[in-house]
Amino acid sequence: MLRTMLTATNTLTQLQSQLDNISNNIANSSTHGYKAKEAQFSELLYQQFNNDKLDKTLRQSPVGIRYGVGAHISQIQANQKQGSLQTTDRDLDFAFTKENQYFNILMPEGEGQRTVYTRQGDFYVSPIANGQVMLVNGDGYPVADSNGNEIYFPDFATDFTLSPEGQLSVHYANGQVLPFNLAVSELQKPQAMEHVSGTYIGLPANLVELGLTQADILTDLQGTARSEIGLQIRTLEMSNVDLSKEMTDLIATQRSYQFNTRAVTIADQMLGLINGIR
Amino acid sequence: MFKGFYTVASGMLAQQRRTEILTNNMANANTPGFKADQSTIRSFPDMMMSAIKSTNIPTEKGLGIKTANPIGALNTGVYLQETIADYTQGSLRASDLKTDVALVDGQLPVDEASGNKGAIYFRLEHPSGGEAYTRNGNFTLDGQGNLVNGQGLYVLSNTGQRIQLANDNISITETGAILDENGVQVATLGVSFAANPDILMKQDNGLFRMLDNGVLPSAYGQDGVVFATKQNFLESSNVDASRSMTELMTAYRAFEANQKVLQAYDRSMEKAANEIGKV
Repeated sequence: MLRTMLTATNTLTQLQSQLDNISNNIANSSTHGYKAKEAQFSELLYQQFNNDKLDKTLRQSPVGIRYGVGAHISQIQANQKQGSLQTTDRDLDFAFTKENQYFNILMPEGEGQRTVYTRQGDFYVSPIANGQVMLVNGDGYPVADSNGNEIYFPDFATDFTLSPEGQLSVHYANGQVLPFNLAVSELQKPQAMEHVSGTYIGLPANLVELGLTQADILTDLQGTARSEIGLQIRTLEMSNVDLSKEMTDLIATQRSYQFNTRAVTIADQMLGLINGIR
Repeated sequence: MFKGFYTVASGMLAQQRRTEILTNNMANANTPGFKADQSTIRSFPDMMMSAIKSTNIPTEKGLGIKTANPIGALNTGVYLQETIADYTQGSLRASDLKTDVALVDGQLPVDEASGNKGAIYFRLEHPSGGEAYTRNGNFTLDGQGNLVNGQGLYVLSNTGQRIQLANDNISITETGAILDENGVQVATLGVSFAANPDILMKQDNGLFRMLDNGVLPSAYGQDGVVFATKQNFLESSNVDASRSMTELMTAYRAFEANQKVLQAYDRSMEKAANEIGKV
């Protein structure tokens, strides 16, 4: 009897995780550069009962009966589809127009720093010593150039322009122009990336144990390869969450949750019947 | 004493098993490629009953003739004999992931020996050797670029090789050809055909396996087998929630009815024990 209840409760916790995932997507439906996460279910263990070893009746399936104990989330995959572009007319807003291309952000971690990847391109300048400013993202982390260094330039720039190859030019009132190549990485296997926080993803911490190298997963676009970059200035990439799909999934998941709780109730009533035999 | 006492108990057990299977079906109503389990309930083998009596013929020595008059057949219970998957096609659900594929049954021949319609599956490499089959086309890439399922089992091509891709920028044609971003064919997605799907055993994570690591033939070029592979789609589970719920209620009430009969037997026994021969 408890198997009915266990099957339903096993599944309830997993459905709860799916609800969490859906609500996270909905919560991030207006986060720039956010990629929707999709959870898919799979069956839990199957158990075989050899109920009729001695029964010689003809049957269609191999001997024994097999049945499962519920469902679990087999994987949560990020949907890399391009989000829609929003024109902001702000000088330091950037948006990728090609899938799987990412900015490199130097995120401080412990004593050192870690390169993380994001498509959220709302950048700012942050003043540092000697009248210089540094290009940073919304969290204040430095944006890397194609050599992996931070980007500094003197303050009081008058204009910013972007070449199709991802070269940011900083213009000054005296006609001086400083060019910087924004670092752009193209992910070959975004499936292997680790979600760090916010919209940041990073190379998995156990990369070596997995027998992988950075080159297996991503390519830093350098030199002539930079012509593949699809980057726009004064625009931001919206999140690719499809609200109507998420809401439909939410309703379906909630109904599944109800079905499974109903199964628990029925199992409880059956236990009551057993108790009520005498 | 009361033959039916254990018969109703077996009825309760069988209905209990049915609810367990129905709950598992309902739990997997969101699992891609899940095939609902159907259960068959069978009575215990028939038992022949006879009335045995002896007739005394008044002769000198007293002759007794034993006679056995057949009363009829009786079976003393039921059990859940088989769980058989229902192979009807699940509905297709669009997905944005390029590594999601759905198998669409076209025309599949009916197996003459069993009367069952054939079934097609994706081919997977099983870690314990041999192959496993699945309808769940929710695949992904591993770090080396191999096409794998959610548990990391390698998806096999029609030649039985793992499918290695540079990235997930692929397109899969309706005939199973996997093309890379430049339109060059990398491999053909392995699809296997089972003439009688009932001989496969269901395992965890949507896997179907043959007894003794057997291997199914490829579905490509198989006589009368028509199918399509649809990229960017997943096959939904074919569980009908309303039917499962109805069956669950039926099983519950059958369980209750058996319980009531058990109580009736108990009251008869109570009478026999306490009231017959009361002094």
